Amino acid sequence: MINFKQVSCCLGQQQFLYDLQIAQGQVVAIMGASGSGKSTLLNLLAGFITTDDDAARIIIGDQRVDLLEPAVRPVTTLFQEHNLFAHMSAFNNLALGIRTSLKLSEIEKTQVDKALEQVGLKGLGSRLPKELSGGQRQRVALGRALVRRKPVLLLDEPFSALDPALRQEMSALVKRLAMQNQLTVLLVTHEPKDALELANTVVFIEAGKVHWTGPSAAFLQHKDTHIKAYLGQSC
Amino acid sequence: MNSGLSKRWLWFSSISFSLVLMPLLLAIVSFASYIWQAQWLSYIFDTYTWRVVWFSWWQASLSTLISLSAAVLVARALARRQSFVGRWLLLRCFSVALVVPTIIAVFGIILLHGKYGYVNQLWSWFGGQPQSYVYGITGILLAHVFFNLPLATRILLQRLEAINGETWRLSSQLGMNSKDLWRHIEWPHIKGVLPQLAALVFALCFTSFAIVMTLGGGPKATTIEVAIFQAIRFDFDIAKAVYLSLLQMVFCGVILWAGLRLGRSIDIFVSIQTSTKNLRPDLKPFWGIVSDTLVLVLATLLVLVPLLAVVIAGINTAWFDVLFDLRLWNAFNNTLWVALGSASVSLLMASGLLLAQRHWRDRNASAALAVEWMGSVILVVPPLVLATGLFIGLNRHVNIFAINLYIVVLVNALMGLPYMLRVLSVAYLKIDKDYGRLCSSLGVQGWHRLQQVEWPILRKPISLALALVAAMSAGDLGVVALFGSPDIQTLPLLMYQRLGSYQSDAAGVTAVVLLGLCLTIFVVLERLVGGKGD
Repeated sequence: MINFKQVSCCLGQQQFLYDLQIAQGQVVAIMGASGSGKSTLLNLLAGFITTDDDAARIIIGDQRVDLLEPAVRPVTTLFQEHNLFAHMSAFNNLALGIRTSLKLSEIEKTQVDKALEQVGLKGLGSRLPKELSGGQRQRVALGRALVRRKPVLLLDEPFSALDPALRQEMSALVKRLAMQNQLTVLLVTHEPKDALELANTVVFIEAGKVHWTGPSAAFLQHKDTHIKAYLGQSC
Repeated sequence: MNSGLSKRWLWFSSISFSLVLMPLLLAIVSFASYIWQAQWLSYIFDTYTWRVVWFSWWQASLSTLISLSAAVLVARALARRQSFVGRWLLLRCFSVALVVPTIIAVFGIILLHGKYGYVNQLWSWFGGQPQSYVYGITGILLAHVFFNLPLATRILLQRLEAINGETWRLSSQLGMNSKDLWRHIEWPHIKGVLPQLAALVFALCFTSFAIVMTLGGGPKATTIEVAIFQAIRFDFDIAKAVYLSLLQMVFCGVILWAGLRLGRSIDIFVSIQTSTKNLRPDLKPFWGIVSDTLVLVLATLLVLVPLLAVVIAGINTAWFDVLFDLRLWNAFNNTLWVALGSASVSLLMASGLLLAQRHWRDRNASAALAVEWMGSVILVVPPLVLATGLFIGLNRHVNIFAINLYIVVLVNALMGLPYMLRVLSVAYLKIDKDYGRLCSSLGVQGWHRLQQVEWPILRKPISLALALVAAMSAGDLGVVALFGSPDIQTLPLLMYQRLGSYQSDAAGVTAVVLLGLCLTIFVVLERLVGGKGD
């Protein structure tokens, strides 16, 4: 469903080149050492970075997306931080996902309320981000991802600032919402646990390239030296 | 990737560009046409000019030295005595001093230190003869310290308050005394900002006009800035004004370049947040308490007493006459328009430049840098030099006294531009850093981005910048004096004339009206545009 064909880019000194296929409805954990190019993959897909090669293609479904503006691509992103506008209420932050003018119809307002309920924030719509906990803020952002109704959800280490218990809770929430809404999820993470609990596939990135792709369980037992070095297992 | 500027916004930016560039270009062209007429040799060997140059450097150096050393003492005392009873009052006075019109401070200093001032009255009460010391270098220094001590103290205090609690706890554990604290903690924290701060204060004193004009008291104490004015208005020697203007620009360029080279950049209008409470280990010693109290009381007196003297001088029997004088209300009107006009034009310029700067940052780094430089170039061109250029350039083609208010607005807007840019650019560029990707991923752009994201975040800094530029322009005397005519008066100009003709009662009332107007403009703009506080 998602297809990277010869997608290259160059940031500073480092070269990146991705070739990758991901089937619809998969939850994919993208793993690899810091600086290997995990976030770059997500940024290329979301359109925050553009490729410099004319032959490159990024295809989602049967639509070529690499020339589109970020806002019209069929993806929605959860960043590590700054997901919410600090001066806007949770409700408005969510409403931005539907209409950037914030002028919502009654039906759309119900949609927002429903999304707030789905992420467990019923009744907290009027709060400002600073009046919410870290976990609640990420839930608002997740709610907005839902109301945007994009088929692909990108998560860039969105729970790394949360406590272990909260992480688990959020992972479960993402998993449930992904199933309910039939989302394809790409998750950048450092936590092998996330890979096992949440994802069914792992993409391992090494030095700007896709080094290995396969089922999560196989990843953790793999004998490849790069993967073992990354996971901290002695050879 | 960035949501690009649409055509509409590029139009907006180009209006700002022409507003900034046209006056500068006109000034340059008109200077150039006089370069051939100037009698260079006679100017270069003119001893009077060199005395003026020397005096400019000397008074600015002295003013900077005194203001900064005093500011270090006051900032340190304020940082040490966080529960000092007058702290709030002193900091309030210091903020007010940033927006008080020069002519008001000058009036206050004359009331205090003039031949019949309070100091001399006290002196003769002890049996002394009244001394005349305020006109000349003493008065200039007093006024420069009045303005620059608060400015410098606020910036230094902010640096000192930024020292974190762990540092103080650690220093108590190590048993540091006051001297150790200064050497190991405080000095390293403030020395980084000192070069730029010194350059800023020096540049302000070097180009100061109204103070030297009113308190200089003769050819012995004249600066280049005043000499330019005299060359135009009294000698009608435009070539000489051009020569002096070029000199002034070279000197200002050198000062600012030195400041930029030497240290980290500073925020002019800092907000002071006291985060760590009384953690220092050196609060107990008796002599420390005595010296700090002395420093703080003296600083309060220095700023508060001249302002009080002005208010007291405003309470007199001339109220009725002055208030029913149409000239006052005419001047009031003009001042209000100059203030609001300059602030809005300045905002127009600044927002266009910032839009363009952000647009080009990702596409063309040198273009973005050029825009940034355009805002700073104004600092090298003192108000009177720019006004002179415009005066010469326009004088041949139009009746200058018919459009003088517009020119006063334009020049004051340009003068406010560096402050405007400083206050706005940090907040504006931070929006892009924090929310740029979020906005582009959600498709929040154009009008909606302005309405939903930029305005709510920027209205506070915008209100502050508008208020600052409006208050500065309301107090402007230099540009207005150059372009003013008997029909077009502003309150500072009216005050200047009343001071010159010894109508001190009328001057007092005018001063109170002007002071009230400035403070009202400041407060109203800040509240109205900035919305309610957080």
